[in-house]
Amino acid sequence: MDAATQRLLEEKERRIRDAVALKTPDRVPIVPLGDAFTARQAGVKVSDFCTDPQIAYRTMIEVFSGLGELDGIQHANYNVHLLSTIWLSRLKIPGRDLGENDAWQVEEIELMTPEDYDAILDEGFGPWLERYFAERLPGTAEAFAAFVATLPDAFAAWREKGIVVFSPVLATVPYEYFCGGRSMQQFMLDMHRRPDKVQAAMDAALPFLKEQMRQVIRGLSLMGLWIGGWRTASEFLSPRLWERFVFPYYKELVDVAIEEGAIPVLHFDADWTRDLERLLELPKGKCVLSLDGKTDIFKAKEILGDHMCIMGDVPPRMLSLGTPAEVTAYCKRLINEVGPGGFILAQGCCIPPDAKYENVKAMIDSVQ
Amino acid sequence: MVAGVGERIAAGDDPTAILADVQRGMEIVGKRFEDGEYYLSELLYAADIFKQVNEPLAEKLASRETEKLATMVLGTVKNDIHEFGKDIVATILRSNGVEVVDLGMDVDYEAFVAAVREHHPQFVGMSCLLTTVFDDMKNTIAALEDAGLRDGLQIYIGGGPVDESLVEYVGADLYCRTAQDAVVAIKRHLGVN
Repeated sequence: MDAATQRLLEEKERRIRDAVALKTPDRVPIVPLGDAFTARQAGVKVSDFCTDPQIAYRTMIEVFSGLGELDGIQHANYNVHLLSTIWLSRLKIPGRDLGENDAWQVEEIELMTPEDYDAILDEGFGPWLERYFAERLPGTAEAFAAFVATLPDAFAAWREKGIVVFSPVLATVPYEYFCGGRSMQQFMLDMHRRPDKVQAAMDAALPFLKEQMRQVIRGLSLMGLWIGGWRTASEFLSPRLWERFVFPYYKELVDVAIEEGAIPVLHFDADWTRDLERLLELPKGKCVLSLDGKTDIFKAKEILGDHMCIMGDVPPRMLSLGTPAEVTAYCKRLINEVGPGGFILAQGCCIPPDAKYENVKAMIDSVQ
Repeated sequence: MVAGVGERIAAGDDPTAILADVQRGMEIVGKRFEDGEYYLSELLYAADIFKQVNEPLAEKLASRETEKLATMVLGTVKNDIHEFGKDIVATILRSNGVEVVDLGMDVDYEAFVAAVREHHPQFVGMSCLLTTVFDDMKNTIAALEDAGLRDGLQIYIGGGPVDESLVEYVGADLYCRTAQDAVVAIKRHLGVN
């Protein structure tokens, strides 16, 4: 890498770290994420993009490096099997189960049974998980290993382009695994019908997930990582259940990430507005709260502005159906009202596959 | 509650009266959901209990003409296989006395048209989780229009990426953020409390 690129990377990394530490950088950093969107833009088949990690990261780099001056990228690479590894679910994969340019999808079926809670307690979460993948999701572990093997090359290729790899790995709480495996409807009934069993299985899974995350942060020298929340969102469950099955587990994962020197990016989809105040319990100036347009980001600023960097939240719908002028106006509002300090601009969740190129460009250019 | 209903059936209580009581219970649950006291987790739990008590009652009521509030043809639109949100809506509507014709997921435009033709519903519900199928939602509604079935039909839409602004784009009547929103909207439209 030449000295100029090295200096550029350092400058961008400092900009992002300043925002995380609640300082006001020279300008608001822009750190987006997009997957199938880049395949569409590059004319790469979605079926190839989502199953071949070499094709995926090269496509992502090609499209994003042409879109303007990014500070960082959230994920450096993509593979569809990642979805099975966190939601323990079967997938519909383009080219195999769907048309080659269709969107991949997660199947909402009961692949995990109530008896699995006992099996987790008997066998330990790690061995149970290994058996679960082998028996019920064959090919997942192998695809995941092949994906992980490409990460060092992918990181280096992004950095060569002067783009910081910000949060390229994904961790989450036991709730998300079980909810995905059981199906949301069954899992919500489990929390009422057999709460003690669910909690015991979660408590058995957590040490494994913490240790796995610790090893990944060390092995890949991560700057940050996603600690994701989807179906754990406040809007779906009562405070009583959320306090018992959700928040304590996030707290423990966040503590481990910080202990290892990584920035936990709370990638929280859906509406978390009710519990924003609870996030004040997480360490100040160390985490990022990344919102998808469903949580009130302005309320988040009001409650957490002095405590936690906020990231987001150009709604995916606006990137698909809106106009560049609309996107620019919304980004400027975010920069002025949620920023300029302690704020990172990004799309909500992920740039959707059918986002308009000019809308994504408008978002990226709006920080200049 | 399941046992209590069983006892009342065994004691020879009027099944219509028992069902009315159970539905009043669901209304209280719905009200608590609207007030922010209950959440989806409680709504689903209550609907599951309703389903369990409804089975023995349904047998008793099979011989009688039961009163249904309305009919909704419901489905996840073409090119989207995400059914969970749609399933919640079906569960909650049924436990509130709405007959639901569930077309499943990845529903062809023409399947919606055929179902509306066959069942003459007052309501159609469409769900999606992908932004890429907004046009499929729009095309489904256009197909209903082309078939001359749009007039007098209330079309409600919902799902993860859906919001108010999509109503106009696809040509629907209303956006429902939650399943309970649909219950409230249906009752309001019918002028029922």
